[in-house]
Amino acid sequence: MILSEIRSMRWTDFFMHALLDPRALYRMVGRNEPRGFLLSFAVPAAVAVVDIITHSLFGRETSFFYYKITYGWILWFLLIFFRTVVAAALMDMASQFFGYKGNIRELVIVLNFSLFPEVFILPLAYIFKIFRFAPLFFYILISMGLTVWSALIAIQCISEMHSASIGRSAVIFLFPILLIGVTLILAFILLAILGVGYFVG
Amino acid sequence: MDRNRKLLISILALLVLSAVIAIVDISINMQYKKPSGISISGPRIGPGVGIVRIEGAIEMVSSGGTFGIRQGAESIIDRLSDLEGNSSIRAVVVRINSPGGTVAATQEIYQKLWRLRKKNIPLVASLGDVAASGGYYAASACNYIMADFGTITGSIGVIALSPNLKKLLEKLGIGMNVIKSGKYKDILSSFRDMTPAERELIQQIIDSSYRKFLKDVALGRNQNESDIAPIADGRVMNGETALKYKLIDGLGTFEDALDKARQMAGLSPDAPVYDESKSPLQELLLNLQGMLGAGSLYRAAGYENSYRVEYRWEP
Repeated sequence: MILSEIRSMRWTDFFMHALLDPRALYRMVGRNEPRGFLLSFAVPAAVAVVDIITHSLFGRETSFFYYKITYGWILWFLLIFFRTVVAAALMDMASQFFGYKGNIRELVIVLNFSLFPEVFILPLAYIFKIFRFAPLFFYILISMGLTVWSALIAIQCISEMHSASIGRSAVIFLFPILLIGVTLILAFILLAILGVGYFVG
Repeated sequence: MDRNRKLLISILALLVLSAVIAIVDISINMQYKKPSGISISGPRIGPGVGIVRIEGAIEMVSSGGTFGIRQGAESIIDRLSDLEGNSSIRAVVVRINSPGGTVAATQEIYQKLWRLRKKNIPLVASLGDVAASGGYYAASACNYIMADFGTITGSIGVIALSPNLKKLLEKLGIGMNVIKSGKYKDILSSFRDMTPAERELIQQIIDSSYRKFLKDVALGRNQNESDIAPIADGRVMNGETALKYKLIDGLGTFEDALDKARQMAGLSPDAPVYDESKSPLQELLLNLQGMLGAGSLYRAAGYENSYRVEYRWEP
């Protein structure tokens, strides 16, 4: 059955829609036909491998690279996975604040596929590296551009998921970042107060 | 299969291909740097020794080439300018592996090195397999010359070569129509014998270039021209003999040259070494450029400039 699914090539539509029509991507995910849950984790895995290769290209290579490319990417993949699950949980919570129905499983799939543009960092940055044309500058610039593209895919999918406006979807998408940011600032302030109290007292 | 799906499969295949190329690039880069035999000890920050390499025939190749990568004397001068303008560079080791080359290109490198020497940047020449004729000319601009025992050096002299194909063409029944504005316009032509007047003219150029060679070597070595003239008859010699004739200052390896440069600049023994770095892909493009370059095409087609007067060892 899995083989017939692969041969049908319908799985490619997930990737195509992620790039060209994020709303159609969500509709595919919502129909659950073909099933995309497991396939969606191929994207963060690919992003982990590409990230490691790209970082190695721009850094000083040592034989540690072989460890990174054989085992290290698994750790990086787990970090992306953890980040996605936490972000999806917080976005789901934000959706419920707005009165929408919670659907964390679909959010995880959508967030995974929304990472797909980030794999293009390698070929794009590599061109500038080969020709030594401000490679680091363009690496950062392209990374930022691809991150924005990923965010737009996720926001459009959330908008389609809840039939919500783009603005509200953006708030849902940004909620985890805002929450974690505020938490970190508060933690920093508390630590600072604690530190000052310790040294004064 | 749907066209869009085919397109996506192609994109995914390209992504995989770029990842494989990148992994190979990184791997080659690591192996390329390892066996160089140059110990780059310590962190690559702070004052250190810069390396410039003169390898192969010295020619003035100023254009960017097919892939925009500069090579030849101009790229060596560019590298020297980079080192000159870098405040971290306190000494320069010039690694030479060259049988020499064209007069003008060699003189440009010599003058550039001389400029660095006048700015009190200690220069150490490290001679590899061959540093003869123009290769030695460039080395003589350095404060200190170090060669391996078996380095082939010397060959102080000038040469101009031109094949005489007259008899062969006569056998083949081929003649050449030449319409010229002056009697010397086709001097060094391969299609006829050289006249005594032409030989005299070329000899004047050779003698003039030779005198300049001798004068510059004497200046660089802090010797009199008369001291060098007896051995400046085009003879080649190994490192040991060159030391005997004071053409070099010491026998030693490339690493010894680095140590000497550190010592002359008053740097610590583990001061960093700033070598030229080219990625394997750049090397590949450079090789392709060499194969596809205009110079090679001209040579293959027999259009190479025959007026080449060279400081070059021609065994």
